[in-house]
Amino acid sequence: MSKIITRMGDGFSVEMDEQELMQDIEDGVIDAAERAEIPVLSDDEQKHLLEICKSTCTISGVEKGYEVIMTYDGGSNKIGRLGINTGRLQVLQTYERCFGADTTELSDLDYSFKQAKHIVRENVPLMEQAQLLMVAPVFYGSMPNLGLYTQPDGPVLNPAELLPQGKIKEAREAYAEAIEHSVRDMVYVSSALYEAGADGINFDTVGASGDPDFKATLLAVQELKKKYPAMCVEIGMAGEFILGMHGEVTHNDVRLAGLYPHEQVKVAQEAGVDIFGPAINTDPTESIPWNIARAVTFTKACVEAAKIPIHANLGMGVGGLPLCYTPPIDAVSMASKAHLEITRLDGL
Amino acid sequence: MIDKSIIEETAEVLIKVNKVRAIEIVKNFINEGGNPLDLMEEGFIPGINATGDLFGRGKLFLPELIQAADIMKEVTDIINEALAGGSDIKKERGTIVVATVQGDVHDIGKCIVVSLMKANGFTVHDLGRDVATDKIIESALAVNADIIGTCALLTTTMPRQKDLEDALKSEGLKDRIKTVVGGAPVTPRWASRIGADGYAKNAQDGIVKIKEFLGIE
Repeated sequence: MSKIITRMGDGFSVEMDEQELMQDIEDGVIDAAERAEIPVLSDDEQKHLLEICKSTCTISGVEKGYEVIMTYDGGSNKIGRLGINTGRLQVLQTYERCFGADTTELSDLDYSFKQAKHIVRENVPLMEQAQLLMVAPVFYGSMPNLGLYTQPDGPVLNPAELLPQGKIKEAREAYAEAIEHSVRDMVYVSSALYEAGADGINFDTVGASGDPDFKATLLAVQELKKKYPAMCVEIGMAGEFILGMHGEVTHNDVRLAGLYPHEQVKVAQEAGVDIFGPAINTDPTESIPWNIARAVTFTKACVEAAKIPIHANLGMGVGGLPLCYTPPIDAVSMASKAHLEITRLDGL
Repeated sequence: MIDKSIIEETAEVLIKVNKVRAIEIVKNFINEGGNPLDLMEEGFIPGINATGDLFGRGKLFLPELIQAADIMKEVTDIINEALAGGSDIKKERGTIVVATVQGDVHDIGKCIVVSLMKANGFTVHDLGRDVATDKIIESALAVNADIIGTCALLTTTMPRQKDLEDALKSEGLKDRIKTVVGGAPVTPRWASRIGADGYAKNAQDGIVKIKEFLGIE
């Protein structure tokens, strides 16, 4: 059987025959379905995925008419990382006019709401100028980053130190206190940027500090939507399931720890979130077909459960893309095509 | 041969973090003349491994995992005391030095690894996070470690794992101390490229690799 060149989850090329490729797709689908207790992809969908993964093209694409919205997080930081000397407003214009971005995001290098509050008055005029320059919607985006509220970075006792000492009650109390600080900062910064003209607020990498991090974001969203009912709120998740750092945090009687994307989206939309971005982790030791199959299975269940638009995270190490510095375009476009054609999501 | 119901219950008490019942099971088993090592091998160790797996699937959470590890510690202490001739499970099992490499401040994953290692009866020296290569080697020599486990959570800090391999080679320690590498961006290919002895995909896999190196079934 002839060999097909594909990749591993760390970006390295590997040769597989069609049977091996199909086996990886089946295994990836089953892994997702078993973990999240969701349906597997149908035989036709798996065969379609095989056709996508067999592609010998450098870039895969969808037919005209099947394009979706491209929304970017953290955009205004990313060009600078490449060593290109430019300002944040020029980066937003570059995303809109060169990269074809449908939404862009003004953000800070220190990508956390806690840090952003100190410089919010610097960002307000910048957001106003961005709104005058741009046609595409400009969001303000940042991370809840609950860890910054615990010692030594913040005022709250550090649960990572309390838990190993068996001080579970104290650790949970510390999380509750951190949530209060975090909600206050998220509401403060988001309000200022929204009043400066932001088209929406993107809460990025939500759940990075586990279930209390997700809870803080949901509370902030509720408060913001009460204050500004027309505000567009997007949240992008940190990983495929909510890590139970606390374990007993609930929101509207739903335990947040252990929720997978199809369950996360229900809690998020109830809190007032308008766009939801699931993030499915890439396993660098498995092949890209395995990772794409897995990501697509999780995301399809999420799309089916959602009443709001789903813009899945497809970037380094998430959404079936390789975990390496510069994800190769063959894998990026293959994963994007698979998500669009199988999950029928609304954006990337 | 231990009764199947006892084996099942040992896993259950760990998952449900029922310390009182765990201690009761061990004491009753020993009082009835059972071999405590069998109970550890057939009951508690598979039980703590199951809790690790459930954690990795989002079905069990950090506080429970840590409490389960604490139960394992208590149970191990009782079994150690009961063993004839003063033999000690921990001493038999080997010494491991664990660290998150320099420049990397991620800690959660490593703490989980450490908890599972302790729960499996290894003597573990956790050096913490952001640890320099020199300090890792110095500590490993000081405690006569069998294995060094390092964790890198960033693509930018993975090269520190290679630095450790190079340093161990240049100091002639490579045959004396085995190395296991782990962390989200780390792969078996990376482990092989830098000359590490083993790769651990997750905490549970780390236990498997360590047992292989130490010849523990």
